[in-house]
Amino acid sequence: MRFDRFAGTFAAVTAVGALGVALSGFGQVNPLAPDRVFRFTAKLIDDRTIEARFTIADGYYLYRDKMHFAVEPATAGLTVPPLPEGKVKEDQFFGRVETYRGGVVVRLALKEPKPGQAVVIAAESQGCADIGICYPPITQKVTLPIPEGSIVPAGSPEAAKKTWFN
Amino acid sequence: MKAPRLRNALSIGAAGVIALAAGLGLALWDRTPADASALLALSLPDTHGTSQSLGQWRGKVLVVNYWATWCGPCREEMPEFVRAQRELGPKGLQIVGIAVDQPDKVAQFAKELDLNYPALISTYEAVDIGKPLGNRLAALPFTVVLDREGRVAHTQLGPLKPAQFRAIVGALL
Repeated sequence: MRFDRFAGTFAAVTAVGALGVALSGFGQVNPLAPDRVFRFTAKLIDDRTIEARFTIADGYYLYRDKMHFAVEPATAGLTVPPLPEGKVKEDQFFGRVETYRGGVVVRLALKEPKPGQAVVIAAESQGCADIGICYPPITQKVTLPIPEGSIVPAGSPEAAKKTWFN
Repeated sequence: MKAPRLRNALSIGAAGVIALAAGLGLALWDRTPADASALLALSLPDTHGTSQSLGQWRGKVLVVNYWATWCGPCREEMPEFVRAQRELGPKGLQIVGIAVDQPDKVAQFAKELDLNYPALISTYEAVDIGKPLGNRLAALPFTVVLDREGRVAHTQLGPLKPAQFRAIVGALL
């Protein structure tokens, strides 16, 4: 009987102690890598339009004015439309700051795509986590093969209209 | 009737011991004294462009805080650093900010905040020095507290709570 009680107490004390020590080890914030919480994908939706997308994990956000896109080779030419409006936050130092949560989609246009070649879309982004840390800017790249076949002449109204959506 | 209960209790107890050992091991591993020599050997320009070596503050309780004007959580914790520098500076506390930012923005923010400790300018590459000290993602804010002998007493990724910060430096002063 006494041993039984001792075992019970022993179990409770060690479990609580283990929890306490484990928690003290994890006292620091343990954020995920930025490329895991800000996932960049891109796909061709027609021969010169690219849908670029950031999927943002819960508890994390990206700054609108820190988001930039580029194409390699540069000769392919990239038209970047005005980025979708973000959530506005008044910052006492910076004034109006816009952030994205959840995700953001931008339609980019290639000026001179070459059928059969690949283009690399490089997306630079910078964001923070609600736990109180900010990441340095990161650049993520997606390679998109331009399919063989006819290319609609540059400046087609269809491509020009589909500039962006939220 | 009692035997299964006893067995269960002992099993839980054994699991607790294993968890305790794992937790303790992890906690100790996390607290392995980090080498601050690379940090103390660092020289960076201040907002006037004058190179400043972190080694010049050896002998003080040195708090190195990586920050940036674009980092909201960084800016939120800085008024406490200003207060601590004013109150504890005479006792041997030296806070040094390393801003991963443009010098003009840093100078402007330093003026707004009446920053009373040095603001050095860094590139993202210099933030890499913090990686062996626990900042594997080069995120901000990141703070390293060194004792008077230049040993790492505490590293913190994310903001320090004022009470926590006072307790850490208070124990070293």
